[in-house]
Amino acid sequence: MIEIKHVGFTYANSDSGTLTDISLEIKKGECVLLCGRSGCGKTTVTRLLNGLIPHYYEGTVSGSVAIDKLEVTKAELYETSKIVGSVFQNPRSQFFCVDTTSEIAFGCENMGLPVNTVRERIAQAAQELNVTKLLGRNIFHLSGGEKQKIACASISAMQPEIFVLDEPTSNLDVNAIEDLRNTLLSWKAAGKTIVIAEHRLYWLKDICDRVVYIQDGSIAFDIPMKAFLEFSTEHLAKLGLRSLSMEAFHVEPMEAKGGAELILKDYCFSFDGLQALNIPQLSVPIGGMIAVIGLNGAGKSTFSKCFCGLERKFKGKAVFDGTAYGRREMLKKSYLVMQDVNHQLFCESVMDEIQLGMDEENMNDVDTILKELGLADLSQRHPMSLSGGQKQRVAIASAILANKEFLIFDEPTSGLDFQHMEQTAGLLRSLWGRKTAFIITHDPELIVRCCTHVLKLEQGCVADFYPLFNETKNRFADFFYKNNN
Amino acid sequence: MECSILQTNIEKRGLVFDPRTKLLLLLTMATFVLGGAGQKIGLGRLVFSSISSCLCVLPFVLLLASKKKKVAFTYAVLYLVMLCVFIFVTPITKGLLNFLILGTAGIITRFLPSIVLGAYVVSSTTVSEFTAAMLRMHVSEKLIIPLSVMFRFFPTVGDEFQSINLAMRMRGIGFGGKNVGKMLEYRLIPLLSCSVKIGEELSAAALTRGLGGNVKRTNVCEIGFQIQDILLILLCGAAFFLLILSTFGML
Repeated sequence: MIEIKHVGFTYANSDSGTLTDISLEIKKGECVLLCGRSGCGKTTVTRLLNGLIPHYYEGTVSGSVAIDKLEVTKAELYETSKIVGSVFQNPRSQFFCVDTTSEIAFGCENMGLPVNTVRERIAQAAQELNVTKLLGRNIFHLSGGEKQKIACASISAMQPEIFVLDEPTSNLDVNAIEDLRNTLLSWKAAGKTIVIAEHRLYWLKDICDRVVYIQDGSIAFDIPMKAFLEFSTEHLAKLGLRSLSMEAFHVEPMEAKGGAELILKDYCFSFDGLQALNIPQLSVPIGGMIAVIGLNGAGKSTFSKCFCGLERKFKGKAVFDGTAYGRREMLKKSYLVMQDVNHQLFCESVMDEIQLGMDEENMNDVDTILKELGLADLSQRHPMSLSGGQKQRVAIASAILANKEFLIFDEPTSGLDFQHMEQTAGLLRSLWGRKTAFIITHDPELIVRCCTHVLKLEQGCVADFYPLFNETKNRFADFFYKNNN
Repeated sequence: MECSILQTNIEKRGLVFDPRTKLLLLLTMATFVLGGAGQKIGLGRLVFSSISSCLCVLPFVLLLASKKKKVAFTYAVLYLVMLCVFIFVTPITKGLLNFLILGTAGIITRFLPSIVLGAYVVSSTTVSEFTAAMLRMHVSEKLIIPLSVMFRFFPTVGDEFQSINLAMRMRGIGFGGKNVGKMLEYRLIPLLSCSVKIGEELSAAALTRGLGGNVKRTNVCEIGFQIQDILLILLCGAAFFLLILSTFGML
């Protein structure tokens, strides 16, 4: 069905994601997993299939990509779109309309289908993917998982033969991944062909039949899923891949240093009359690295905003060193490293960036911090020209230099491969004992590498709070993998 | 949500108007309230200032009908206060103070109704309603697609802007901080780079779903003139009719 023959591709303005020589044949009804390190070219392969290369992303392309008789590199994008449907990484930026119903209709309208047919297809797709309840809603008010469901439904309504997914779970929580898994299973049952590029592998065990590993722009191996499941976690790590199961995780016990406590009082907050956060009192160790877990909507981001003093109406206090600190003081003492770190880089060079808002006394530490975080060579670069991980480090450097005592990280490893996840974990571990950190995450591999405590939120309340040792790891393993054992 | 003024909430909409009616209304508002058309001396002045007053009440009614009570009453109070200031305070003040009050009150009473109506139009029209209306008016797709992307982009930029504001507050940039002069620059750099990225991903997603094909697009969105539309159109029509009469000196 799909035939990729000796394809090479170089982006016009980037070196990463280059393909040297890819040949791949995919039969109808097959489900193929593309994996590999960041920048290995797996996203590039998905773009070859949906025609975005070479029609949207420019570069030099050689070889041929054929789907049945359609020559994708030559056909117009709207021709390809009828047989190949695509789901992308970022749920925020892949919907075109503001309301869900017109969003699902959008693709069909573009094909010029009669209005009645479009209506039938909306109803059908909504029913199949279990989103009937979401019809007629404002997409901006949906959660990331719900947005991704709508994205799938809108592709489904176009009834393509091939589904191409590019890192669809980067921004999703456990439940949303489970929903996506069911969607994929239903497509598979309907005999559709699925190609998926992904970092998180555990949820694809029973979906994909074939695993294609891409290294430096060419295929290193192409094996059945059965054989791939035999790989040990160490072997996967060597390949730069995330692990397939939880059993192998080993916790390196780390204790909070010092023994002082931070007491959070009256951490209650509600918007529009809905109680979003309800923690009368919670004490956490100062110097701890606390993983904050919970489903979307459990109150994790409300918690972080309240903690940093960013919610203007929040009345709670943080008590430490015998003093109660209110919202304004906490705004000066804490720093939130956002999921999209682009929102918090303002200056023209890394040097300016980290000195912005810095305490004058820290002038002498600038070089040390730069060196420590591996930014010494980059100090004159424009922050926006750096890679994702480097940007993260710039944000952390500026927080350290501004004498922030509490750092909050909002999903620091979403969409990262094994190697980059380990780097981030190492970076977080280096803060251990110097700062108190809250790490909001959906990534169990990160937690076992750098956290001392786990705080589980449920509907705004503390559902569980415990120090992390090998003995206690099953308590959060259950949460992450409840559906996959 | 702070930026909800630009987000169309289709969940509880209240009274719905056809997008074309809303556009006509906007045009009428701009002509008579903002432009102050026809307000000469004599009888004409009386007629057109009463038309203008009627039009100023409209945004309030429309906002109430679309269940945006808070915005509606804020508008009503602000407008009435400014009108009172204009009528009662300006005659009894003198000099610079008079000049300032006259300027502020005058500008606000003239501009506010049109601005509020504009916000109402954007916030009560969905992208697909808008495209459907443009198609009915036989506007070229070359114009419709960029315009509808703009509609989609407003709320996104609003979202981004909020996150950037939070980041700035954490860095202590704001009024009273050290870097007041650079507030605009610090806001625009991340905003531009994020918008460019989102725009790029948005176009890629739209293209893989067949936007810009060679067939004529269909639209499932039902739009059409209802009784409430006809009433508003008659009102606007009457206003313009009177304007024409007065231009030819028949009023």
